[in-house]
Amino acid sequence: MRWFSLFAALALLSGCGKSAPSGSSESKSESAPPAAAPAAAAPGSPAEPVEAVTKSGIEMVYLPGGEFTMGSNRGSPDEAPAHKVKVTGFMMDKYEVTHEMFIKVQLPDPSHWQDSPKKPVERVRWRDAKQYCNERSTLEGLKPCYDEKTMDWVCDYSANGYRLPTEAEWEYAARAGTEAPYEFGTADKLRQYAWFADNAEEKTHAVGQKRANRWGIYDLYGNVSEWCEDVFSPTYYAESPAVDPLGPPSPGKDVKRVMRGGSWKSSADMARVSFRQGQRTGDTDACFYTDYCGFRCVRRVSPEELQKLKPPAK
Amino acid sequence: MTTKIFSCLAATVLLSVTTRAADGGDFKERLKPLPFKIAYESYVDNNWEIFVMNPDGSNPVNLTGTSKIHEHYPQVSPDGSKMCFVADEGEGTETIRSLWVMDIDGKNRKKLVEYAREPFWSPDGKVIGYLGQEYPKFRVIDYYTKGMNFYELATGKITPHPNSDKLRHLYNPGFSRNGKWIVSTVHAGMGYDHAILAIEAHGDKIINLKIPGCRPCFSPDGKQVAWGASDNEIAAAPIDTESDEPAVGPWRLHVKDAKNKIYHVDWSPDSRFLSISRGPDGEGDIKKVGTFEAACEIMGVYAPGWNLIAVPADKDGTIDLNTASDADYSKLTTNGASNKESAWFRSPPQN
Repeated sequence: MRWFSLFAALALLSGCGKSAPSGSSESKSESAPPAAAPAAAAPGSPAEPVEAVTKSGIEMVYLPGGEFTMGSNRGSPDEAPAHKVKVTGFMMDKYEVTHEMFIKVQLPDPSHWQDSPKKPVERVRWRDAKQYCNERSTLEGLKPCYDEKTMDWVCDYSANGYRLPTEAEWEYAARAGTEAPYEFGTADKLRQYAWFADNAEEKTHAVGQKRANRWGIYDLYGNVSEWCEDVFSPTYYAESPAVDPLGPPSPGKDVKRVMRGGSWKSSADMARVSFRQGQRTGDTDACFYTDYCGFRCVRRVSPEELQKLKPPAK
Repeated sequence: MTTKIFSCLAATVLLSVTTRAADGGDFKERLKPLPFKIAYESYVDNNWEIFVMNPDGSNPVNLTGTSKIHEHYPQVSPDGSKMCFVADEGEGTETIRSLWVMDIDGKNRKKLVEYAREPFWSPDGKVIGYLGQEYPKFRVIDYYTKGMNFYELATGKITPHPNSDKLRHLYNPGFSRNGKWIVSTVHAGMGYDHAILAIEAHGDKIINLKIPGCRPCFSPDGKQVAWGASDNEIAAAPIDTESDEPAVGPWRLHVKDAKNKIYHVDWSPDSRFLSISRGPDGEGDIKKVGTFEAACEIMGVYAPGWNLIAVPADKDGTIDLNTASDADYSKLTTNGASNKESAWFRSPPQN
């Protein structure tokens, strides 16, 4: 994908016009497959994403807001009904959080596979992931989103710090303007984009080795599944708000949180972009053994803040 | 000398007879006459404190009584004269956990080392081993450790374990009676996913004992090890620590509780009884001062409904705490005030 310069992106952000996201990608991405709805044709298709590097040196991608079709009427019952959702623009980590990123904020790494600092962390409890978000926010002088003195660590979505993506944000990023089960087309190409059960050899792999999606985000379909902020409810889509849905309220005890994206142990079907999982948070386990649970961070960013961030070195 | 030997034998016979006579009756009656005490941590009046009680749970006494320092994890010296523990001061990630020691009556308390975790006594009582904290910021998780050190009480000298640089994410260590080995759990460290290890005390050998679970504890006679085989099970088995390849024999005792978590097993000084923490699943209550959110069994996590129980260690087979009677086990505490981390010791001689 040819990335706009930061300058161009800011022009877009300031209302100079929306450009249809190109299928004319380069680097590791390939052209838009015929099976996928061209992003330009999708209603409310977003302007071009922008790559940036945070103060602590982490690569992220700014995704301008837009409207997309969330869920599927042809998947599992909990994926239905497919429904229109508008999402406000946000930045998302280009890669899953790795060992070297996790250790940088002085958290004990609970992962099973620690043989490469570039591998994603796993066996991460939901609250561990949120703690990482807060620590990274503090490290970069941002306002932490999570109030650690509240049950479930209530999220302040107005804060400019890091947090877990909402389920809607995650799917918006993964779909990258398409409506097909896989952003890149059909399951036969999954090997090019994901480490999953058929090719992962029952272990995680260093992030960024497979192709990125057309918005430049890696490993959304495999390697480790990713925590989202939302409480999981199989019937939520029937009542979900149309703008920036945040998931149902927490029932308190024994809550399951949404986990999205395939992992090293997922089937191709589980790697579909609309596939949903509800996962126990692991917060009451001294040792959490679910070795496919990872995450990546998002944050809201103003045009002014985005302008100050550096583009990645080429 | 002859008189002394005779007296000792007579006492042993008497104790044996008493024990047998009580079998089948109320188990608490077996605990009452024991010349032991049990130390433990408890959360009272918004503060963690260390208490000492009789072996049947009677007469609990607060040994610490500090309003702003949170004491945890009592460990009593082999001769029963001193107690080391850790204390948390500060809040949140600024909390500093330190190693302290005091006389068994709570007097002469002294801070020894900051950023120290999970202390354990050498068999001769001259040295306290402890684990270092992985990073300066405080985290409550039990395996947040790096390295191992030995504090010599007489001189204050601190010596790292010869393999200290490679020891990471250990928790709940303890010396074998012969001083040759340290057993400990490791989680996500040193190349292990999760394991119970025998670590050579003065060398670099590390043996995976290949038993599931965590928090191993040697019996004072050095012949057995007990541990948490899962969240809901305690096991005990013979262990050979004299060889160069320590190995655990067949499991002999099995305590289970499908409704509660059971953790923190400790042996009585005569190796005949076990104390265990028991309570419901939970993740604490962050509103409680000096506590953190994590699994209830972790030190520093408020654990409502958690109490201490005792079971016979000399029983073969399984004790199911949900069907067991008063003849099989005894409740030592009942106030549910986050009672955890018990440590038996022989009562000091009365002056």
